[in-house]
Amino acid sequence: MIPGMTAVLVIEDDDRIRLALLLALEDEGYEAYGAATAEEGLRAQRRSPADYVLVDLMLPGIDGFECIRQLRRDDDVPIVVVSARDDTHDIVAALEAGADDYVVKPVAIKELTARLRALRRRARTVAPVEEPVPVLVFGELEVSPEAGEVRRAGTPVAVTRTEFRLLCELAEHAGRVLSRQQLLSRVWGYDSGDERLVDVHVGRLRQKIEADPANPKHLVTLRGLGYKLQR
Amino acid sequence: MRRLGLRARVTAAFAIGALLLSASMALVSYELTRRTLLDERERTVLRAAYYDAAVVRAGLDTENPDAGEALRTLDTGTGRRAVLHLNGDWYGRAADNGLTAAIPARLRELVSAGEPAVQRIRVDDQPVLLVGVPLSESASFYEIASLRELEQTFQVLALALTAVAIMVAGSGAALGWYATRHGLRPLTAVADAAERIAAGDFTTRLAPDTDPDLTRLSTSFNRMVDELAQRIDRDRRFAADVSHELRSPLQTLAAAASVLSRRRDNQDERTATAARLVADEIDRFQQLVNDLLDLARSDQSVHRQPVDLAELARQVCRDRDLPETMVRLAEDTPATWRVDRRRVAQVLTNLLDNAERYGAGPVAVLLSRTGDTGVIEVDDDGPGVPVEDREAIFDRFVRGRAANYRGGGDGTGLGLALVAQHAAAHGGSASVSDRPEGGARFRITLPGSLS
Repeated sequence: MIPGMTAVLVIEDDDRIRLALLLALEDEGYEAYGAATAEEGLRAQRRSPADYVLVDLMLPGIDGFECIRQLRRDDDVPIVVVSARDDTHDIVAALEAGADDYVVKPVAIKELTARLRALRRRARTVAPVEEPVPVLVFGELEVSPEAGEVRRAGTPVAVTRTEFRLLCELAEHAGRVLSRQQLLSRVWGYDSGDERLVDVHVGRLRQKIEADPANPKHLVTLRGLGYKLQR
Repeated sequence: MRRLGLRARVTAAFAIGALLLSASMALVSYELTRRTLLDERERTVLRAAYYDAAVVRAGLDTENPDAGEALRTLDTGTGRRAVLHLNGDWYGRAADNGLTAAIPARLRELVSAGEPAVQRIRVDDQPVLLVGVPLSESASFYEIASLRELEQTFQVLALALTAVAIMVAGSGAALGWYATRHGLRPLTAVADAAERIAAGDFTTRLAPDTDPDLTRLSTSFNRMVDELAQRIDRDRRFAADVSHELRSPLQTLAAAASVLSRRRDNQDERTATAARLVADEIDRFQQLVNDLLDLARSDQSVHRQPVDLAELARQVCRDRDLPETMVRLAEDTPATWRVDRRRVAQVLTNLLDNAERYGAGPVAVLLSRTGDTGVIEVDDDGPGVPVEDREAIFDRFVRGRAANYRGGGDGTGLGLALVAQHAAAHGGSASVSDRPEGGARFRITLPGSLS
């Protein structure tokens, strides 16, 4: 890895697409390297972790969904799915597996890099600060936005960067309803985008912070309005 | 006139049939009863009249006959009255009351000729039976028996029979209504199933073994749904396959084109022009693939949800670097509509695109309502749309005439077709007219979005 450069791992089985993406990403100033299979990509990520991973869904051997799950098991690297499939099931399944974002091929390189930058901004805000840390408390749930920590009943909860940003956004506006569009723009940095991103991340977050995710006590849905975090 | 429904027709047929049957039964029984009772009465009256006639004859058969005396010996009760015609004079027991005048001349002739006769006549509007018995050449005896009681009996009988006939007809109608309800119940099940299928639930099937007479209907219905579901699934898979197969190489092209355009400064003019053409056409191709896929999918059901339409319209304007002040919400119209967000966003995008491309730029986006129908109007300042093109421009691959002389052709020709399809998916329509200040006004209606 070249120090000072942002590394992007592209897991894509189509040689021509991979090559073109690597060329274009390098042009945009990223250090980009590719993997033709999920296995190869997972090995590369363990050897020298990239700052972002782009994953195709249709891969030979281990498919994209499983690849995302395994990547997510190791760390919270931002994962963006780049797939030609725009079926709702695929999008939701990929996000539930742990992807942070989803773009449908063909995506313009400018848009892809804009999305990576938005994920980067979020990643930065999580950096710990050496100052007294205000903790937001919701029953047995504790969120410390600046320490980057979430605890439930005193036990740390592992959340991804995107989930953490989402939780902080809701926690900082405790008791107030945030619409899906507001959350999209504040957490993902999109002016317009797919609201399923929000729904799936909220679902994943509930699995981690709610005692009974099917009947959420803190992270509640307000039909037709959006989401709210309450005590 | 609207034709009556099957159920109403069957019910009416049952009612009419029952009425005909019961009415003819009633008529026959009325006639039979009437005739029997009348015959019975006639026989009784005749017997009594002959007996009385014998008594009177005996009374007259003396040396010094007294007609009055002879009549007085009769026991006629209140129901009968007797008169005697003797040597051209009338004799009765009481005042005549025009009784003798009521005796028809024809009957009198018959009796005078020595023939006994019976006739039903009306006297003082009362039905009576008149019996004439010849006593001798110069004397005839007449007896008049009232039939009033019998007539009353007939009236009661007729009333009762009419009531029964009406009740039977009513029961027939009720039976018809009940029978058709049972008979049509399987059809109701078919209609329910068809509605669920139309709403997009392709797992709906009819129970195959409900009624042996309807097995054919349910099996062919189920087979139809099976084939429909398969075909829709095939179409959907085809669309997904096509999208995948077209989008993957497009990704390579898009990424490669961006590499080329980054190096524009190092290219000679011809190469740079060629690279720009490639990049532009890739954009158009990409848009075409997306539009085609959207069009292929636009018959899928609408996912309505509350959407702040004013905000959505402003956002679409922002995305296209248009002033968001052109979005106006009518005073009586709420900002939140129940619509399919993705579809309406595309409607707005395509209309604004169209206005930019062919209409010299959009000048206003007006959101208003007519009842519970949301109305989106997009105005432009261009040349307007000729009347003869106003329907055709919503067809696929039709571009405005303006595109020809401007040498454009960067559109896919599917934008307005998609607008029309999305409007239709909401149960509404898309149309274009002249804007009063010049230019075109595109109007989209979305029924049920403000209920």
